[in-house]
Amino acid sequence: MCFRRSSVWIGVAKMVPARQKSVARTPNSVVQRKSKIKSYRQSYQSMTAASRLCLTRALTSLWLNTSRTAPKSDNILDKVDPRQLASLMKTEWQLSYVTPLYQFRYTQLKSYSRQLSAFMAAEKEQVEDGATQNFKVSFSVVHGLVETDYDAETILIQIYSKSFFAGQNEHQKPVWKGWLACVNGNRDYINSLPKEFISLPLFGSSGTEALTALVKSWFQKNFDCCFGSLEINHISLQWLVALWTNYHAESNIKQLQMIWTLPVQPLLQVSYAVNPVDAWELWCSVKGDQPELVKENKVIDIDDVMRLMKGLMGYFYRLFKVDLSAGSLSSVSTALGSAKCRGQIKISNSKCMTTTLTLLTECALLKMPI
Amino acid sequence: MEAMQYLSESPDSINSSSNDQPVSNRNLNRSQRIAEKEKRKNEAEDPFVAAVKYFSDVEAGTPVMGNDVFEGNLVVVEKVAYAEGLPPDAISVMLEFAMSLRMGTSLCPRVLKCLIPATVVPQDAVVRAVAWLGVSKIPISTQVLFIKWVLTVFDMIDAKDQLRAIYGFIFSFVTEENLCPFICHLLYLLTTKQNVRVFRIRKLLDLQDRLGKQPFLLHLLSLYKVFCPELVTLSVPSRMKRGFRNHNSPWKSALAFVQKKNSAAIAPSAGVTLTIKDQSNRRKRKHCHLELPVLTCALNKESQAELSSNRKLVPLAHLRSFAELLENMHRIELPAQMGSLLSTSVALHYLDCVQEESALLRLNFWLGYTLREEFLFCRDGGATQNSDEALQFLNRLLCAHQFLQEGFSSSEGFLYKFLTVWDGCLMRPQILGLLSNIPVVPSYKMGQLLLEPLKQLYFTSSPFFKCGLLECLNGMLRNWLTWHSVYALEDNMDISISSHTSIYMTLSGLKDSVSQLVQFVDHLAVVGLQLESCHSLLLNFILDFYETVCDMFLKYGLPLVVLPSPGVFYPALLATDPVSVDRLAYIMHRYKVNLAFAKSQLKITEAFRISRQTFSDFNHYVVDMVNFLWNAKAFQSGVNVQLDEGILQRSKVPECSTSFDLVYHPAFMSYAIDFHHKCWPERKELDLSSIKHVKPWSWYVEYLFSQGYDGLELFKRTNINRWQPVKGDKEDSGTMQL
Repeated sequence: MCFRRSSVWIGVAKMVPARQKSVARTPNSVVQRKSKIKSYRQSYQSMTAASRLCLTRALTSLWLNTSRTAPKSDNILDKVDPRQLASLMKTEWQLSYVTPLYQFRYTQLKSYSRQLSAFMAAEKEQVEDGATQNFKVSFSVVHGLVETDYDAETILIQIYSKSFFAGQNEHQKPVWKGWLACVNGNRDYINSLPKEFISLPLFGSSGTEALTALVKSWFQKNFDCCFGSLEINHISLQWLVALWTNYHAESNIKQLQMIWTLPVQPLLQVSYAVNPVDAWELWCSVKGDQPELVKENKVIDIDDVMRLMKGLMGYFYRLFKVDLSAGSLSSVSTALGSAKCRGQIKISNSKCMTTTLTLLTECALLKMPI
Repeated sequence: MEAMQYLSESPDSINSSSNDQPVSNRNLNRSQRIAEKEKRKNEAEDPFVAAVKYFSDVEAGTPVMGNDVFEGNLVVVEKVAYAEGLPPDAISVMLEFAMSLRMGTSLCPRVLKCLIPATVVPQDAVVRAVAWLGVSKIPISTQVLFIKWVLTVFDMIDAKDQLRAIYGFIFSFVTEENLCPFICHLLYLLTTKQNVRVFRIRKLLDLQDRLGKQPFLLHLLSLYKVFCPELVTLSVPSRMKRGFRNHNSPWKSALAFVQKKNSAAIAPSAGVTLTIKDQSNRRKRKHCHLELPVLTCALNKESQAELSSNRKLVPLAHLRSFAELLENMHRIELPAQMGSLLSTSVALHYLDCVQEESALLRLNFWLGYTLREEFLFCRDGGATQNSDEALQFLNRLLCAHQFLQEGFSSSEGFLYKFLTVWDGCLMRPQILGLLSNIPVVPSYKMGQLLLEPLKQLYFTSSPFFKCGLLECLNGMLRNWLTWHSVYALEDNMDISISSHTSIYMTLSGLKDSVSQLVQFVDHLAVVGLQLESCHSLLLNFILDFYETVCDMFLKYGLPLVVLPSPGVFYPALLATDPVSVDRLAYIMHRYKVNLAFAKSQLKITEAFRISRQTFSDFNHYVVDMVNFLWNAKAFQSGVNVQLDEGILQRSKVPECSTSFDLVYHPAFMSYAIDFHHKCWPERKELDLSSIKHVKPWSWYVEYLFSQGYDGLELFKRTNINRWQPVKGDKEDSGTMQL
């Protein structure tokens, strides 16, 4: 369903939606173990405050940030090698969160490539691709896909199938791709980790599940980390709606398409497509500024997001008498990218890469067990 | 290397064997002979051996129908096969029996299906069976079954040279349309460069023309092309969809089962409780967080090269006993995955002295991840699906906690989250066990993290959960106090503020936490007793808790005295079972001792000051207790319990005030009657008031003490100073003055 611009939006800006709590907070005791003092014996404080095995860390940001700023450097293409960027874009990634990697060295990527190839060869009977396939793995660093100094550089892993019969000069397309990233990670969290750990909390993979499982298990065995599935929850999807709409002035989003799931028997799926111009105008009215000013104003607040969603839902209600707020958003897609609640993300435009990855990094960090 | 050698030949074993041999050489030989004889005898009687013998000897043409001997023997073989697999010779015999069709074709599939090798398959048997394929009239479906069996056990065939020698013979079966896919697979596994011949290629191409581009033919041809690219001009697609379809053979699961069982039997068991990872099982499960990682050596050798060059490291995985651990304590290499430390007791010993922060952090990451994925993030109620595994996992974790006498921070963090969604039933003993191991929680956090969720669970569940929770909180308090007593001694209580950003617990912080916990339990106890109308089991758990509380100062050195509130004290005093009253008396006695000690300390140092209120509360309790039990003046001194006269009269109990002394107290009445019978056996009428005379009274009290009521005795000794033998006189309760 599409609608043209109309006067429907008057008064939208006046609506003040209740501030929502986004993500359940992790209760973390702030008490921290005192690091071992000279002798083997433990100190009184360390034991009573929190026992020796208790290294409880405090995540200072226990919620998703309530306001976001667009990255300062507008053009990611200046920082990142376009070829590497291209391999990250236009692919739908299945997301996972990863606990910090222990003793991961950027200097050893070559050796990791070899080790992972060997590991896959050893375990290949698990992969159903038959006995004739061999894998060639390449690890590479995507330089520049970071926002702050403490962000670890993104790692790109590509797996090529090395078939006996493939011609040497055939163009090789990876059978599996994956990356580990940290963009704008929480500074306090990252700094609280000992230096042997590297926090790359966000993992995206594209390829067969069997290969993904192999790669994950290799990482688990080598860097003592754990992989868990990362869903993109309702709030994060709403954030993406707003963040992507906000880019419309720079790059046409073509269409804002949302899929809502309503909890009725049987489950009702509502597909709701909005004309980009309408979406942009609604966004401007939410921001309460002239469109030119909206472009300049880089800070987006959770209240803006909520007002935008309220506006979208309100219009739908007036037309169909279906209140979408009873359900939850399960998918968002625009020309800039798409995201699904089960943890799939696709980024089609390099402009919104950093913003999107920042949001996802935050989601991943919220899932950290400590 | 040095270390490794040392490990492999344990000094104990060398000593013991060298000592024993000369002395008992002859005995040993004799016993060996006897054992052998025994073994032979057993074998002769072993139905399995007999059954195999039957199949090797049975004559051709023996009828199957109605042949009970045959049936019985086959059942024996099948049972052994499915339970532990068949030994190589039995495989030979059974395969020969089946393929030779000595008893007809109908049996063949049944026998083939039970050919599950325990160890290896003799090559001869396979070669002979292949030969039978060409000789006898085996139905095609059975032939397929046989080739499938060969493919399934291919890796277990002890040698392949003879099979390769009959490559041409096997190849000849390719023309058989039904056999072709399986024969191709077998050939694929056997092919060497010498086997690739032009005529074979031509044959395959012929077949391809006839059957179309079948993947099995393509695969074999592509392998030929790899060996002899000049002979095969066929263009093979660079990426073929799949390999040989892995035939869902009937042996797979049985084989996996047998192998797992056998490997478990071989696995070392010297004080090590390793969980053997079952790959087949693992793949079936969607969520497999609950497995402990296998104890393996660190894989990234290069990164640690600089470390190990300095000193030789021994991987933890190689250590089998505590003695070995002690030998190598200084040069142990941590495993690749810290979670594996929970799997063996040796590793747990080591974990107890691991000091590296990063190592503990790794462990906590893994544990926190596992717990949260399994119990919190699992959308489809995974925890209930595989409750057995979850139970095992939690039990193991609990064992580790108890072994180390402390909890992991990640399990603590998990519990805080889990308590808010817990129904109070799922894995109750385990969760409560883990909960009692959590370290001291700062008082300002305790309410929100711990007490609120527990309160909700407590008030909405059965008395048995209430008891469980009280026991758990009692354990928690004891752990906190123990930690304090151990580490306060070590550090002489010098409480320094650390320069780190984190907050450390000071003594006063600990006192705050402890008193908050005690007050919380007190609150739970008071309301719980009302809700469950003074459930005596619940009352006992409450008194358990107070037995810990009353001794905090003397036993654990924590300068804190917290008294129970009247809602706990009076129900215990007026309880209908003597045990509760006795335990209350014991608790009051301990309070008195603790307070007296604190007071004496006060004179020496200003160690800690007990509030005037505490003393006065304690005095009131003691006065009341003495008045109730000894002086028969219940409800009279009434400072703590003030009952309206009207209410007492409405209860229509004559002489309320005397009804709770040691004679008329509902808990002790039966003893009074018993005592009466013993004292005056000739009396027909029961006159309990006669016990209250001076002499019988003192006898009666002695009698009660002799029945095991030590609490009362201790209470009397510490609190009742003078013994006024005149009835009705007030006994002086030893109240304390500040």
